[in-house]
Amino acid sequence: MDFKKQLKEGLLTQNPVLVQLLGLCSSMAITTSLFNGLGMGIAVTVILTCSNVVISLLRKVIPAKIRIAAYIVIIAGFVTMIDLLLQAFLPPLSEALGVFIPLIVVNCIILGRAEAFASKNGVLASAIDGVTQGIGYTAALVAICVVRELLGNGTFGSGVISAEGARILPEPFPAMIMILPVGGFLTLGALIAFTQWLTKRIREKEENEA
Amino acid sequence: MKTSDLRYVLKLTAILFLVTAVVALLLGGVNALTADRIAALTAEKTAAAIRTVLPSEAEPQKLERFPDESGNVEAVYQMGEDGWAVEVIIGGSQDDIHMMVGVRKDGTVSGISFIAMAETPGLGDVAKQNTAKGEAFRSQFIGMSGSVAVTKDGGEIDSLSGATVTSRAVANGVNAALACAAGLS
Repeated sequence: MDFKKQLKEGLLTQNPVLVQLLGLCSSMAITTSLFNGLGMGIAVTVILTCSNVVISLLRKVIPAKIRIAAYIVIIAGFVTMIDLLLQAFLPPLSEALGVFIPLIVVNCIILGRAEAFASKNGVLASAIDGVTQGIGYTAALVAICVVRELLGNGTFGSGVISAEGARILPEPFPAMIMILPVGGFLTLGALIAFTQWLTKRIREKEENEA
Repeated sequence: MKTSDLRYVLKLTAILFLVTAVVALLLGGVNALTADRIAALTAEKTAAAIRTVLPSEAEPQKLERFPDESGNVEAVYQMGEDGWAVEVIIGGSQDDIHMMVGVRKDGTVSGISFIAMAETPGLGDVAKQNTAKGEAFRSQFIGMSGSVAVTKDGGEIDSLSGATVTSRAVANGVNAALACAAGLS
């Protein structure tokens, strides 16, 4: 149980989006405003943690040959239940996250972590893995969101600090292309390069110290 | 096939069946728990949308029969002598757009409001946002009559983005409502 190590992996060295390149569909589709990034990030973190715990609990019961089918059923069931509960009891949150929740079922981070981590590790470690990978996912989404929102819409924090967000770039500057899928790929590519540079630097520093 | 193989296959089947059965049971339970509340909340939202699109003293009266050539009109509420609130469901970019269109007795649009939609965040979903941009988009329809179209199709509605998927769908929804109201008056 090494929370710090797992957090570092989630945020940087094993970041689900920037290093493992998982969950790219949602990372491209929704990262156009800070609110979207935070909303999707939190929703995935909660569901990833829950599904990691359940799959870790069942890891000795489910035979390897049918594990994928069983995991998919469990994850899809989980997401649908949370969707229904939110709709009934937390309608404002459900309205805000409405488009993201069905997307989570097909988010391969959930299945990826179930397969790579929860099916081989204890309950507590799996829960921590859910939280740290979720934080890493959220951080990557927020980073993409901030860049795309600033360059594509000229604002910061729309939906979070106010409905419109704080306007930073005046009207003629923002480029629609950054809001469109192209902008998502451009931003993602730049961020992946930055992450690689950062991890390389950290590794070199560690090696020099050793 | 050896008996041990058969046993193994049966065991796998049984376990997978058990997993799906438990999940299905839980889902059924959660659905039973939440269905009534979700229906009540949707009804509340519909009532609020009626009030938004056509402010009126009269109580909304749900009409049993209404003309619907487009096949998109879900329900029509008569608002006394003021006009109608027409509930329309029309295909959007990802899922159906569920909207309410207010039409005055003289056949002009009094307002539009969205009950549910799943348009692309940052592009189409601006239509329902409570922002200056969303407000500007919705208010373009007020006072329109006959039929409406986006500028790309030679109409007067400025679309939200270049692709015009959402804007075109909303314009079609408004047209369905206008045609329906024209048949009523």
